Amino acid sequence: MKGLLLKDLYIAKSNILVTIVCLIVLGFGLSFLLEASALLVLAPPCATTAVFISITSDANSKWSKNVITMPVSRSQIIGEKFILYIILSVLGIIATLIPCGVLAIIDGGISLSSLCLYGSIGISASLLAGSISLPCAYFFDPDKSQIVFIMSFLAATGIITALVLLVNLIIPVKDSILMSFNIVLIIAVIIFFVSHKIAVIAYQQKDIT
Amino acid sequence: MNNALTISGLTKTYKDFVLDSVSFDVPEGSIVGLIGENGAGKSTTINAVMGLIKKDAGHISIMGKEELDNDTKEQIGVVFDGSNYPEILSPKRLNRVMKNIYHSWDEHTYRSLLKQFSLPADKQISQFSKGMKMKLAITVALSHNSKLLILDEATSGLDPVIRDDILDMLLDFVQDEDHSILVSSHITSDLEKIADYIVFIHEGKVVFFKPKDELTEQYGIIKCGAAQFDALDKSDIIVYRKMDYEWQILVSDREKMQKKYPKAMVVPATIDEIMLLYVKGER
Repeated sequence: MKGLLLKDLYIAKSNILVTIVCLIVLGFGLSFLLEASALLVLAPPCATTAVFISITSDANSKWSKNVITMPVSRSQIIGEKFILYIILSVLGIIATLIPCGVLAIIDGGISLSSLCLYGSIGISASLLAGSISLPCAYFFDPDKSQIVFIMSFLAATGIITALVLLVNLIIPVKDSILMSFNIVLIIAVIIFFVSHKIAVIAYQQKDIT
Repeated sequence: MNNALTISGLTKTYKDFVLDSVSFDVPEGSIVGLIGENGAGKSTTINAVMGLIKKDAGHISIMGKEELDNDTKEQIGVVFDGSNYPEILSPKRLNRVMKNIYHSWDEHTYRSLLKQFSLPADKQISQFSKGMKMKLAITVALSHNSKLLILDEATSGLDPVIRDDILDMLLDFVQDEDHSILVSSHITSDLEKIADYIVFIHEGKVVFFKPKDELTEQYGIIKCGAAQFDALDKSDIIVYRKMDYEWQILVSDREKMQKKYPKAMVVPATIDEIMLLYVKGER
């Protein structure tokens, strides 16, 4: 699996670097308008676009066919993309934490609770979007996959809203907003894990031509 | 003699195509050429062998194992037509990737093959010509101690010089008696040069699986007119084809036919001609 990950990092390297630099610059730039930590909501979803670049590249270069003949299992092939997705989400968070950290040191205007809240929302959105778009990327052609990729973020926003409303039935969100979004995050992690399992099972049955 | 690959009764059904009970072997130390027109089922057979598609029926045994596990895959080098690797990579980066995929990856062999084929290690694959990409794919296939090479239309679209280089490479590989090759191609002249056995697939069925020498040294074509055709013993005819001015009849033993029909013109048959007669001829 290490080889697969290395290959994807080579493919996505330039995209990852551009995204990270953009997030850092945006973090400093947006700090004049709003709290820089709010960028944590966008960072993980933005950073994960590289996964879809690698999936499209795999299809175009026939790597997705060639890799089946190599000593890696189909579950490892799928698992690697899910791991890459998590790595990139974390990288997005780290990139955004740089301007947040610098600004916190300079003016102290960023609180830990806002970092945790926005980080939690960002990772939840990213995981939920990935839960939808990653399996679809293997079962639709590249054009449809890109549409699903864009739609998945809209869907993720809807799911988060629905989950928050559900949580609100048990715990008043206004009183414990961080806890509510952490519950949403846990649910997103579970959905991401289930999505991975479903993708593996479906990919095992798929004919690759 | 042991078989590197045994295919028995392989069946795969699609909406508009059926791979129908395909059976043949790749004996160790031999090169088996898989021929047939486009869409005959060559790639479907290879895809089934490599686990890319699920078979509906039949048995596939690779190096004595029915299950295509990672240990078996380590010993198989596969080359598909066209691009095989992400074009953004260079051979140098590909080496790092493959080193982490194949336990038996031989970096020294890889580097020396790159040098032998004059492939630049630092250049992106996207800047390679089709021939260079194919040489790179074969270099990778030969760099993890493969015992079985499977090439699917690997020489199609290449110029004769590069094709000849690749054929030499394949002949070198099979000098070791443990090594075997299954190569699918519709360029039958290439297979005439290197193959020990020929499998001919037509419309999803194996028409024949024979030693190449039997085809090139024994098979023949009787070229004659209508009267001579009528006089022929029909049991001698494998297939025949009516051309504008003559009849072409494929026979399995041209010397015997020459003796039996001394007035007939019996000429040796190339694999191309045999394939054409089977596809376009009548029985």
